[in-house]
Amino acid sequence: MHGKYAPTRICDGDPNEKRTMNLLKITLRLAAFACVFAGPLWAGPAPAANPATAAAPDPVRAPFTPAADAEVLQEVPSAADPAVSAMRTLRAKFDAEPHSLDRAIELANAYIDYSRQIGDAHYAGYAEAVIAPWRKRPVPPASVLLTEATILQYRHQFAVARDLLQQTLQLEPHNGQAWLTLATLDMVQGDYPRVSKECAAVTNDAFLVTGLACLGILRSYTGHAEQGLVLLNQAQAPSAAPGYQAWVHGLLAESAERLGRWPLAESQYRAALTLLPQDNFLLVAYADFLLDRQRPREVLPLLAGHEQSDTAFLRIALAEAALDSPQTARYTWIMGARFAALRERGSEYFGREEARFALLLQHDPQGSLELALANWQVQKAPWDARVVLEAAAAAHDPNAAAGVLDFVDETHLQDPIVVPLAKRLRDQLRASAR
Amino acid sequence: MKPWALLVLVLVSAIAGAHSASDAYLTLDAVAKGAAGGDGGAGGDGGVGARSGAGGDGATHGKGTVVVAHGQWDIALRDLDFVLRVDDDGDGRITWGELRRHQAQIERYATSRLTFTGGSGDACALRVTRQQVDGHADGTYAVLFFDVLCDRRPKSLRMSYDLFFAIDPSHRGILVMHTGEDIATAVLAPENATVNLPL
Repeated sequence: MHGKYAPTRICDGDPNEKRTMNLLKITLRLAAFACVFAGPLWAGPAPAANPATAAAPDPVRAPFTPAADAEVLQEVPSAADPAVSAMRTLRAKFDAEPHSLDRAIELANAYIDYSRQIGDAHYAGYAEAVIAPWRKRPVPPASVLLTEATILQYRHQFAVARDLLQQTLQLEPHNGQAWLTLATLDMVQGDYPRVSKECAAVTNDAFLVTGLACLGILRSYTGHAEQGLVLLNQAQAPSAAPGYQAWVHGLLAESAERLGRWPLAESQYRAALTLLPQDNFLLVAYADFLLDRQRPREVLPLLAGHEQSDTAFLRIALAEAALDSPQTARYTWIMGARFAALRERGSEYFGREEARFALLLQHDPQGSLELALANWQVQKAPWDARVVLEAAAAAHDPNAAAGVLDFVDETHLQDPIVVPLAKRLRDQLRASAR
Repeated sequence: MKPWALLVLVLVSAIAGAHSASDAYLTLDAVAKGAAGGDGGAGGDGGVGARSGAGGDGATHGKGTVVVAHGQWDIALRDLDFVLRVDDDGDGRITWGELRRHQAQIERYATSRLTFTGGSGDACALRVTRQQVDGHADGTYAVLFFDVLCDRRPKSLRMSYDLFFAIDPSHRGILVMHTGEDIATAVLAPENATVNLPL
């Protein structure tokens, strides 16, 4: 299979269809992103050369007419999925009362939650449409500002999201959710002094345990991961909803990773996934854990069926590459096409992922470094630091990483992968300065 | 319990990375002045104004006698399913049979959201010629092939695009216009939904 579907012949047209060919010429100019694949992309297992590899999407050709009515073309959310039926119920309620703000917020939050769960931004867009009429008001309600901020934060449009959160807090200074969302935003952007104040506000205005979780993750990002673990353990609330419990388990796993406590991290990821087995974020974080532990073979069954999510897809591609699978080239090509499509539509929130893609799958350290540094202007979580350092090391350009090295020092970041890498680059910098 | 659910959502979601959003791909191929109305279709059918007499084009409403452009419009089945419930049996899989049964509905839905006007303000018509499917990196798309027909050949076309904006303001139409050797591209968004296309 491999080779036959190499990118060189991705857009063979039907020779009997001159018009199709003309249009295809245009399509080809779009480079990768608009090219056409044949057959069902996600339906059924493609015959794999290596039985250990997951089914890869089917290959590529011009527009076609399927041979049989029974041919499956696309997987979509199933009506049997409880989350889907819940969304449809909320949709029906909203359609019956289209002027009800409460119905709109309920529906929008269900869409956002589903979007996050399956790693599919379409539903964030649907949520945005639901609240749009209230957004247009001169002074939108606080709940609408907060929901819109959540959507924009999901899309990594942090500046606008921050502005909306500040507007929300002007209207409702004790809105605990707004404080937590703002804390999240500042955490991702590395503004830890502000996070500290915001976590305090969360403690006062939301739930005590949520405030503890907020402080716990902050401590684990700022050189006190042991304390972070203690706080996060105290933030556990067995009577809370599964989503909350899974969230805390996920944070515990991340904090354990900061300390290199791999068995603890793994048990926490598994506990989280027992509660939310389909959660895209948790699946992807656990896949990263497995990739770091050189266990790529386990990534494939973990993420099977989640190919729709770009973040999950990247981990599948990385696992295939780590296994030296013949599917790697195809996965790499498709991932590249997805990034190209994101860029074409004007999205700029995929730098961290694309930097990893460029380094590990395209073997382009310089390109990866540029992406990682651009991403670093916007996001400063430990993974954002890591992609810069890994690219700088591969590109033999420690100077480019100077700002990240300073940040790692100043924030006392603990990370068994980032810290040794930072030390190596710093030594190189010192050596070159002599 | 509800507050928990809401509080959880936020911290986690900001850390996720890339997510595919809704895109549609619109490719237009301007028919050169003096060229046959449908290149390669009915050869030698006489140039401008002499559209080959393909019957049954009810969608033109009597407007348009000159084919000024051919188009290909790729629309994600996921998006179509959200608005039109293409997955009739609700099993989470769209089959070709299900899609085929919805083709007329898809045509009506799509063509009501894409309008063309000639330079002098004359409305032009959009006629879907056939539907197929193709695959993009993020899934399978319905492909609508269509012609743009005007009464007279205008110097430029004004195109207004309104697919899915009402249900998803983050939807984008990726337009590629091919005029002779020139290629123009545009990203169609709610704030940039109308474009002028030279012919």
